[in-house]
Amino acid sequence: MDWREFRVAFPLLVSCRLLLALTPFVNSLGLDHNHQLSSPTNSYVRLQEGLFLFKHDIDPYAGGSFYHSPLYLSLFTTVLPTSRFVSRIVWTMLDVLGAWALVNIWRERQSVVRTSRDTLVAAAYLLNPYILLPNLALSTVSFENTLQLLVLLYACRRRPSPALLLAAILIHLSLYSALLLPSIALLLLSSPHSHLANPKFFTAYRHPNASLSTLLSYIGECVLYSVVLCLCCTVVAGGWGWVEKTWGVVLTLPDLTPNPGLWWYFFTEMFDHFRPFFLMVFSVHLLIYVAPVCLKFQHDPLFASFALLGVLGMFKPYLTLADPGLFLSMYSVFPEIFPYLSHPLPTTLLHLHASLLLPLFHSLWLNQGTGNANFFYASTLVLGMANGAALVDAIWAGLRIAIGGKESEDEGEIAVVQE
Amino acid sequence: MRLLFWTTTSLLLLISFFTFVSTGSFATETAIPQDAARDFFTRHAGPEKTSNHTNNWAVLVCSSRYWFNYRHMANALGMYRTVKRLGIPDSNIILMLADDVACNARNKFPATVFSNQGRSLDLYGENIEVDYRGYEVTVENFIRVLTGRMDSSVPRSKRLLTDDRSNVFVYMTGHGGNEFLKFQDNEEISAFDIADAFEQMWQKKRYNEIFFMIDTCQANSMFSKIYSPNILATGSSEVGENSYSYENDNDVGVAVIDTFTHYVLQFMEGINKTSQLTMQDLFNTFSFDKIKSTPGVRSDLFGRPLDRTLITDFLGGVAQVELVDEDASAEEPSFSADNFSEPESPSDEILLAVEAELRSGNNISRGDRTPTTATNVDSSWYGLVKVLRAWGSAAVVGGLIGWIVTSR
Repeated sequence: MDWREFRVAFPLLVSCRLLLALTPFVNSLGLDHNHQLSSPTNSYVRLQEGLFLFKHDIDPYAGGSFYHSPLYLSLFTTVLPTSRFVSRIVWTMLDVLGAWALVNIWRERQSVVRTSRDTLVAAAYLLNPYILLPNLALSTVSFENTLQLLVLLYACRRRPSPALLLAAILIHLSLYSALLLPSIALLLLSSPHSHLANPKFFTAYRHPNASLSTLLSYIGECVLYSVVLCLCCTVVAGGWGWVEKTWGVVLTLPDLTPNPGLWWYFFTEMFDHFRPFFLMVFSVHLLIYVAPVCLKFQHDPLFASFALLGVLGMFKPYLTLADPGLFLSMYSVFPEIFPYLSHPLPTTLLHLHASLLLPLFHSLWLNQGTGNANFFYASTLVLGMANGAALVDAIWAGLRIAIGGKESEDEGEIAVVQE
Repeated sequence: MRLLFWTTTSLLLLISFFTFVSTGSFATETAIPQDAARDFFTRHAGPEKTSNHTNNWAVLVCSSRYWFNYRHMANALGMYRTVKRLGIPDSNIILMLADDVACNARNKFPATVFSNQGRSLDLYGENIEVDYRGYEVTVENFIRVLTGRMDSSVPRSKRLLTDDRSNVFVYMTGHGGNEFLKFQDNEEISAFDIADAFEQMWQKKRYNEIFFMIDTCQANSMFSKIYSPNILATGSSEVGENSYSYENDNDVGVAVIDTFTHYVLQFMEGINKTSQLTMQDLFNTFSFDKIKSTPGVRSDLFGRPLDRTLITDFLGGVAQVELVDEDASAEEPSFSADNFSEPESPSDEILLAVEAELRSGNNISRGDRTPTTATNVDSSWYGLVKVLRAWGSAAVVGGLIGWIVTSR
C-alpha cells in the first residue's frame, strides 16, 4: 500500500487539515477579521452577530451588519452549534467533502474508478492556500465552494434532482452562482467526458434521452426548489426583509468593506447619480460571459463550468480569495490542457505577486497608516490580472487543444482519455 | 411524476405552516425587539450604574491666541490628551485652538507644548488633530459646532455629530469676565449665548448629558445662565475672583498651565478607562488653598446623583459591553468595559471595585437571556414559535436534501 495511493493519502490529508484547524496557534492569528479571507457576505464574525440577534428576538436583517442567507440562521440555531471548536471541525469537513467531490469529478471525467492522480487532485484542493486560509478564517465561502463542487459532481453523474436542489441552495447562498446554471444544464444533458480535442456541436455528444422537454423539466424543477427554499427562508426570517439584505446586497453593494475584489474601490468613489447605472453595468457584464462560453465549449460543458467559475472568481461583488482558489484548484481536473497553456509561468508569478502584495498593502494602509487605499486597490488589480491571465490561458488552451500538435501529448504523458 | 407529487405536497404543507406561523408571529414581533433593546440598556443599570449614554463626544476650546497665552493652549491640549487616553477617539473630539504657540518663533522648543515646569511631557506630539485652528476659532463657529447649524460644505471632522444618547464634555479656557469669555482678542461670547446654544441642543436632541468645564477668570458666571436639563457644570473661580496660573517654566519663559486645569489633570492622571471614580470624588478634591480661587459646581440641572456619576461617563469613551461566549462555563457578567481591550494597570481600589461588581453582577445576569415582557406566557410562546420556525425550515430543507440525494 503505497503512501501515494488515494486510500492512504486522503485520510492523511484530512488529518493534516484537522490538525491545522485545531491548533491553538491558528486562533491567535486573528484570521476572522482579515479582509482578504472573508467579505461582508461571508464573514464568520457577521454570522455570529446575526445569530446573536436572532436568538435575542431582534430581526437580524433590520440593521446593516448581517448579509448571510436565512438558511444559515436555521442551520446554526438548530443542527450545528456555534462554538468555535466545533465550527472549525465542521468547516474542515466541508473542505474534505469538497475535495472528495473534486476527486470524483476527476474520476467521472475519465469514467474510471480510481487513477494515479487522485491524491494530487485532492491535495490541490485541500492544500491550496487560497482555499485553506479562508477555511481557517471560518468564512462561509467554504459552504459555497463545497456546494458548487457537489453540484458539478451530481451533474457529472447525471443525477438531475440532487444537482438542481444543491444548485438552488447555492443560489440562495450566493446569487451570482446562477450564472453556472446553463452550463450545468448542458452537463446534465450530455456527459462530463473530455471532448476538448474533438469539438463538435452539442447534438453530437448529448445524452440519448436528452431533449428540450427534459431541459424544461430541469428548469421547472430548479424553480420549484427555489420557491420551496424561498418559503423556508421567509419562515425563518419572519418576513421578506431577507431578500433585500441577501440578494439585494450583491446587486446594490451597500457595504464597501475592502476585499480583494474589483467592485468596492470603484463604488467608493462613485457619484450617487451614476451608481445605479454602474451597478447595472457590473451585473450585466457578468451575464455577458455565459452565452459565449457555453456556446464555445458546448462539446465539453464541464470545461464551460470551469471557465465560468473563473469568471466568477474574478468579478464577484464580494470576492474572497477562495473564489479564485476554487478555479485554480479545478485546473487539476483538466491536465490535458497543460501542454497548451501559453503563459503558465507569468500566471503563477502574477498570483505570487498578488498574494504577497495583498496582505502587505492592506497592512500598510490600515495598520501602519503609511499607505492609503490606492495601494491596496493596486494589489487587487494585480490579483485581477492574475485571475484574468489564468482564465484566458485556460480558455486558450481549451480551444488550442483541438488543433493539437504538441509533443508531450503524443508521448502519452497525459492520462486523460480523449474521445 | 412522483417527484412532482411529493414536492407539491411539501409545498402545500409549507405554505400552510408559513401562514399559520406568520399570523401568529408578526403581531408580537414588533413589540418584542423594542423591549429587548430597552432591556439591554436597563438590565445592567442596576443600583450601581445610572448612565444611559451610548457614545461620548468632547468639545475643547481654547479661546486665546498669542505667545503669552501659552498656558491656555496647554490647558486645552492637556484635556485633549486626557480625553483621548481615556478612550474618546479623534472622530468624536472637536478641538478648537489658535495653535500658534508650538511653531511660534519665540518657542525655544519648536513643535512642542509643555504643561509643567520640567518639560516632561510634550502635549503637541505627532498625533493631534486640531479641527478649528487659528482664525477659525470664533464665537460663530463655536455656536455652529454646538447647534449643528452649518453649511453643507463643512466636512464631517468639523461637525459635532451627536445624538440623543451622546454625553458631551465641553471645556473652555481663555480670558473671561463676569458672564463673558473673550475669543481671540476681538470678540466675546456671553453666558446667555452658551445657555441658548445648549437649549438649542436640547430641543434638537443633540445630547443626553453635558459636562461643562470652564477655566477662566470669574468662570462660574459663565454657567450661571444655563437653563436646559441634564447639564453639570464646573468652573474655576467665583464672580469677582481671578483664576491663576500654576507655574512658569524658566526656559519656555511663560506660564505653562493654569491651576484649576492642572489639578483636574493631575486627578485624571490617576484614572484609566475602567475607573469607577465619580464626579463627587473630583469635586471633593477642589479646595481654595490648592487652587487659589473658589471652584464652583452647578448640579441643579443634572438628573443623576454626583456620587453615582462616573468620570468616564463624560471624559472616557466607555460603552456598555455584553460578553457572550458559548464556551464559557459561567456566563460572563456585563460590566462597563470600553471599546478597546484590557486596561493598562488598574490600581488596587479600582480592581476591588470591579471585582465586587463582577460578583454582584453575576447574580443579576446569569442565565437570563430571554427578554422580559409583560407576561411570561407571551414571551415563552414567542420563543417557542421562533424555535419552531428555525427547526421547521431546517427540517424541510434537510428532509428535501436527504430524500433527493438518497433516492434512486
